[in-house]
Amino acid sequence: MKLKSQKPNPFETIWSRRKFDILGKKRKGEERRIGRARSLAIQKRIGEQNDDLGEFEKGILRSQRERQLKLGKKSKFNLSDGEEDEFDAPEFGSLPERDDFEDEMLSDDDNYADEKRSTVLKHLNSHSAKDPLEGDLIEGEENKHKSKKEIMEEVILKSKFFKAQKARDKEENEQLMDELDKSFSSLVQSQALLSLTEPGKMNALKALVNKSIPDEHVKKEELAVARKAETNNQEQPDSYDKLVHEMVLDMRARPSDRTKTPEEIAQEERERLERLEEERQKRMLAMDYSSDEDGENAEKDYAQRPRAISGDDLGDSFALDDEPGNKKGWVDEILERKDANDSEDEDEDDSEDLGSAEDTDEDEESEEEEEEDDENECEKTLSLKDWEQSDDDNVGTDLEEDEETDEHDEAIGDEDVDKKSRNKTNKTELKKCVESVDAKKPKASGKHTSTKLDIPFIIEAPKNLEELSSLLENHSNDDVIVIINRIRASNAIKLAAENRKKMQVFYGVLLQYFAVLANKKPLNFELSNLLVKPIMEMSTEIPFFSAICARERILRTRVQFCEALKNHENGCWPTLKTLFLLRLWSMIFPCSDYRHVVTTPALLLMCEYLMRCPIMSGRDVAIGSFLCSMILMFTKQSRKFCPEAIMFLRTLLMAATDHKLASEQDSQFYHFMELKALRPLLCIHDGVDEINPLNFLMVMEMSDYSSFFRSDNFRASALLTVIETLRGFIEIYDGLNSFPEIFLPIATVLVEVSEQKHMPKALKDKFNNVSQLIKKKAGETHTLRRPLQLRKQKPAPIKLLNPQFEENFVKGRDYDPDRERAERRKLQKLIKREAKGAARELRKDNYFLYEAKQRDKELVEKERAANYGRAIAFLQEQEHAFKSGQLGKGSKKRRR
Amino acid sequence: MVRPYAIKGKKRKNRGEKYDKEEQEHKEQVEEEEKEPAKRAAIEKPTEEVEGKEEEEGGEAGTDELEGIPIAPSDKKNNKNGVIFVLEKASLEVAKVGKSFQLLNSDDHANFLRKNNKNPADYRPDITHQALLSILDSPVNKAGRLQAVYVRTEKGVLFEVKPHVRIPRTYKRFSGIMLQLLQKLNITAVGKREKLLRVIKNPVTNYFPVNSRKIGFSYSSDKLAKMRKYIDAVGDDVNLVFVVGAMAHGKIEVDYIDDFIAISGYPLSAAMCIARITEALADKWSIL
Repeated sequence: MKLKSQKPNPFETIWSRRKFDILGKKRKGEERRIGRARSLAIQKRIGEQNDDLGEFEKGILRSQRERQLKLGKKSKFNLSDGEEDEFDAPEFGSLPERDDFEDEMLSDDDNYADEKRSTVLKHLNSHSAKDPLEGDLIEGEENKHKSKKEIMEEVILKSKFFKAQKARDKEENEQLMDELDKSFSSLVQSQALLSLTEPGKMNALKALVNKSIPDEHVKKEELAVARKAETNNQEQPDSYDKLVHEMVLDMRARPSDRTKTPEEIAQEERERLERLEEERQKRMLAMDYSSDEDGENAEKDYAQRPRAISGDDLGDSFALDDEPGNKKGWVDEILERKDANDSEDEDEDDSEDLGSAEDTDEDEESEEEEEEDDENECEKTLSLKDWEQSDDDNVGTDLEEDEETDEHDEAIGDEDVDKKSRNKTNKTELKKCVESVDAKKPKASGKHTSTKLDIPFIIEAPKNLEELSSLLENHSNDDVIVIINRIRASNAIKLAAENRKKMQVFYGVLLQYFAVLANKKPLNFELSNLLVKPIMEMSTEIPFFSAICARERILRTRVQFCEALKNHENGCWPTLKTLFLLRLWSMIFPCSDYRHVVTTPALLLMCEYLMRCPIMSGRDVAIGSFLCSMILMFTKQSRKFCPEAIMFLRTLLMAATDHKLASEQDSQFYHFMELKALRPLLCIHDGVDEINPLNFLMVMEMSDYSSFFRSDNFRASALLTVIETLRGFIEIYDGLNSFPEIFLPIATVLVEVSEQKHMPKALKDKFNNVSQLIKKKAGETHTLRRPLQLRKQKPAPIKLLNPQFEENFVKGRDYDPDRERAERRKLQKLIKREAKGAARELRKDNYFLYEAKQRDKELVEKERAANYGRAIAFLQEQEHAFKSGQLGKGSKKRRR
Repeated sequence: MVRPYAIKGKKRKNRGEKYDKEEQEHKEQVEEEEKEPAKRAAIEKPTEEVEGKEEEEGGEAGTDELEGIPIAPSDKKNNKNGVIFVLEKASLEVAKVGKSFQLLNSDDHANFLRKNNKNPADYRPDITHQALLSILDSPVNKAGRLQAVYVRTEKGVLFEVKPHVRIPRTYKRFSGIMLQLLQKLNITAVGKREKLLRVIKNPVTNYFPVNSRKIGFSYSSDKLAKMRKYIDAVGDDVNLVFVVGAMAHGKIEVDYIDDFIAISGYPLSAAMCIARITEALADKWSIL
């Protein structure tokens, strides 16, 4: 063949071989490998692989094929362009695919290609035929056969039809507009708009309508004429347009929120409650403990705490660091707000009662005195009020450093000495004030008594206890509540900003009233009960202030308690007032918090009472067991452990036995109970027929030496409360690990008590039940306990390292995070490259120079050699001539 | 003028050996650096150093749950024969898709592969990912008994995976790392120069310890064995090399394998097969 005989073109045969074949990567010059393409094409030629055919036959076959193609229908119109003789593969690309069945299905292949092409062409034809008719597809295929004339007629018809429709539409529109105008005018005249628009605008509207109604008739007649004028008018806004614009600017009636269905309300309420419960649980946990004082540290700790990395951890910096931030509880809010309120309150107080702010300390002192003799409180109510107001100041200085209050008190004491003289004058002034108030009071009270039934609806909030008590005097319990509610309603915080202050004062006064009420001798228990509700509601309104009041009161009670402990004569057990207040706070404030500004000190105070007060009489027993039950209530949810209460209950149980146990474990116990003079106070001596639950209020009203306390009935009922409280504690503490250690000794005591001689049957059963309960639960805990084991060291896994890689790696890019270093490296690379380039250039130059020199040298050499040769040749010739004797004569001879 | 070729050639030869040396030098350097400040500190304040140590110890003890209770002695065996895993025929192939280079997988590049007359079903880098994860997550590795993992791709590129690499858990990141490895030929640790993954020269047998037993795994093998028994039978003094295929279809075709076994009557995935192997090893060495 011609091709084969040709020398292969080096540009066609040579290509760069790839070391790694990377899919999809194109290199320069690689896409056009003509040599290979040609060889592939040659491979594909007809009969190339058929060895049977000779060159000539192959040639004949090929030319036949060529001619056939030329004769074919499709290629009829193809212009021949000289290169036709070299027929390339019919299909573009996918060459190797066909290789396999080349020889067998030779003709088939071509036919297949032809078919393919023909189908494509058909498709194209149909497309081109359809294209002009795409406008109206409805006619479809039939349209082909219609003549041009018909089509034109159709088009004309259509356009006419559309025009007619347009005209009709226009008419309809006009009619509708007329109707609208009419209805609008009627609407304006029917005053319905009055309610929607302002009266001023109404007039304009009316005027407009009146004007436009006659206008319209005119307009219709000379519509054509007016058209032009109208277009002019349109530029100037006509009155109607103005009106419309104004109406646009008017306030729109807003749709109110859809009234919620009862289910939705219930759902929302449920969600709210769930959220609150969640918050409570959070506060119950110890987390608050640290965030209370050093919230930041706690957060840090939380973040720094090493977490065990699970096997599926993403490991690298991928994970988002959004740990749930420790949300601050309500308590923290209060503690924080204190700082903020400090300044405010101080300012207010400064302006309001300059004098009272100064003698707060003195007031406190007087307060303490007042606490001791509660009966004649009325005298000092003014100072009391001052105290309540000065609460804020105290908070500013004291509450921040709760633990330092004692020190602070000392400081106050020092100051007091200085102030004494001034205080005395103050006091006298105050007393005068009180007198004057007292003088006024009867009038006021008289007024109230006269109008007993009709209570005024708006009542100014009383500023001190005196005012309040005068206000509430001679009113029935219900009326008192009504009055309080009206005071609250008329001075609601939401109404005015200064009402907050008023309500705070009133809250203090009310609390005072509540406290005083508790100490009144014929106890108005019903009123106290009724008072709880408004106080609770108010506390939720002013949580911060109420917390301060409560805390302050607790602190003071504690101080008094310490004082009372020093002289044993008068009982140091809490008065009914303190008990009531404690109960009130337990209802107002959350008891389950891990740490709370009010409930924690309250609980501590109760525990202290139980621990330090000696049990002298049956009354003490009653108060103690009441405190125990209150502690039970406090700790029911948080399950805090109160050893004092348990200890106290145990002491009471011991008091029920008639003989003293002196076993060793008990001696230790007695050591704890150094203060408790253990007498068989509760030992039942005779049979008791019925056991009544203890009426605590009744007990409280009795004197210490009443005979009731020595009756067996009292003892039985006291034991009943004790055992019930104990059962409650058992229920609470069953989760404790040390449950058996805490309660098992009690169980033995219980058994002992139940075996007393005169123990009534019901009590006996109860005792046995509880002791069995204890034993059962202790057994459960025992089964859960596991023997001490050697510690197993966890095997330390190998330390894993994270590989460093880029998100979108591009080869050759420097991913050094240090930009400078990367830059430097780049420059160094450049220098190296340049140096190499320079070296190469130098080398090339040297080559060139060397070659040039060599060439010169060669030339010189050649020349020299030529000269030398020439000279040598001459000499040789001379020599030759000389030797052969041709020189001189010889030559002549030869010539001759 | 021009440097003779002989010198050039020699230099190139050295490069291969230098590779590890550099690393070692660096390591030594680091160690020295670490030691130096310690020495200095010791010279300056010897007493404080001692105290600090004591404190540290105290702190460590404090972190433990129960103080005072002695720690049970750990039963560490001294014969620490490591195991080596070889993943053969891993389909990790980089291609230029569009303008960027990507690791080919059957999901994202099905059309591209079809255009290039490749079977998308053969491009399964996720198998390698899973297999690597199951090797490196195994307790055998955590206990430090894994020596190395070698991966040989379908194209014949061999790379080594150090046992203490944390392979990315997500496929996307894995493909990123493989992409970089196959282009840059090594992957370093974050903030260190230590090479965690690196492309090495074939054949893989160069890297096996002496006296190693190469065990190949194939479903097609007639020798069905229970892994635990098989391992017990091998003996303690032999280094184990497990050769597992990381491809979708087919059989591993390498000549260095001593023994071809099947460990299940069912065709297993590579990850499952490795899980069985590591489980048996952990059982044998009582790694829990």
